[in-house]
Amino acid sequence: MRRNFLPLLLVLLVAGCAATPPEHPFTRPANLFPPDGVLVQRVLFTARGRQFPLNGYLALNEAGGKHLVVTENFGNVMAELLIKPDGQVFVLRSSRMFPERYIRRLMAEDVKCVFGGTPKLDCPVTMPETNRFVLDRGAYKLDIRIVETKAGVQPAAMFEEPVAVKQ
Amino acid sequence: MKITTLLLGVLLAVKAVAATNEVAPAAAGSQAVLQDLQHKMASVKTVYLEFTQERVLKLFSDPLKSDGVMLIARPDEIRWETTAPYQSILLGDQKTVAQFEFSDGKWEKLKLGFPQLLQRIMQQMALMNQGKLDALMVDYTITVTTGDMTVLTMVPKDATVRGMMSSLEVHLLPDLSATKQVVMNEPNGDLTRITFHNEKRDVEFPAKTFDQSKPLDIAAVQTAVHNAP
Repeated sequence: MRRNFLPLLLVLLVAGCAATPPEHPFTRPANLFPPDGVLVQRVLFTARGRQFPLNGYLALNEAGGKHLVVTENFGNVMAELLIKPDGQVFVLRSSRMFPERYIRRLMAEDVKCVFGGTPKLDCPVTMPETNRFVLDRGAYKLDIRIVETKAGVQPAAMFEEPVAVKQ
Repeated sequence: MKITTLLLGVLLAVKAVAATNEVAPAAAGSQAVLQDLQHKMASVKTVYLEFTQERVLKLFSDPLKSDGVMLIARPDEIRWETTAPYQSILLGDQKTVAQFEFSDGKWEKLKLGFPQLLQRIMQQMALMNQGKLDALMVDYTITVTTGDMTVLTMVPKDATVRGMMSSLEVHLLPDLSATKQVVMNEPNGDLTRITFHNEKRDVEFPAKTFDQSKPLDIAAVQTAVHNAP
């Protein structure tokens, strides 16, 4: 049950800093996602040759806020973060698999990369098919499939940082 | 730990589904109900059931739903398959586990990270499958309420576990012959609710149903199960 996640985390952190930017920034087709809604995702996270199936629930609002909940197969929350429209990141829940530092430094950047509005050079994403994104950072890879899109305004509280959560 | 706990509850529920139609003793205490369940679990060889899993996150407007199928065969084989909105198969026995994901039109066997965790789950399931419910009493304070439904409420004794899951509820029919729901409550108000339906007991599963190299397609399994006498 107990396992040291540090080596994996170190590799991921190094990879996050050392990934080679692609020649062209990733540009997502316009209007692929609703401005307000929830994207239900099935994610295959691959690191060090091992695969971790995860579920992602990403709420979006028109202002540009993003609230992501990541769970494992049976619903256990592995990570939860809020990204404000101005890019501020709030880590709401972390886990041994995804410590706070990983979520802030890598996961938040990956969310901005794939679902953000501004193309970034350091965003090695491909779209093998509609609603599927492959983000290859070198030492880790995310294969993200959007399996359900729920359009509609989400509760405002979802995009407000809770009191006492540090940035 | 939390996953193990959830699946323990699920398994308890499944075995209750598979129980016979004997009537639970009136005003039975927790220990008596558990003993009754344990007794009824002993004779069931296989269980097939379908489920709807709802992840209720209080900040989200609607619950996040998934559908699937769960199969158990004595002594220790289990198949947990999500069929919508994505497709994934988790297979395990007391020794090994395997997971498959459907992508690009085909099933891919995953090189699982941390298989020990899933292995532990399977071991716990085997324990339950053998009717060793007493193990639950070590880790949980269990209370039973009766009425329209019999509800087993299991509260973890360990404070760390309780910080992740405040309680696990197993909702059974009063005669313990079927389970309608398993609910895992979290301290912040979030919960996971699994609702069971279309259960079949002591059916014969086709070959390769639990094959960890190339499991039989669930449609073929369902055809065999539903066509069984």
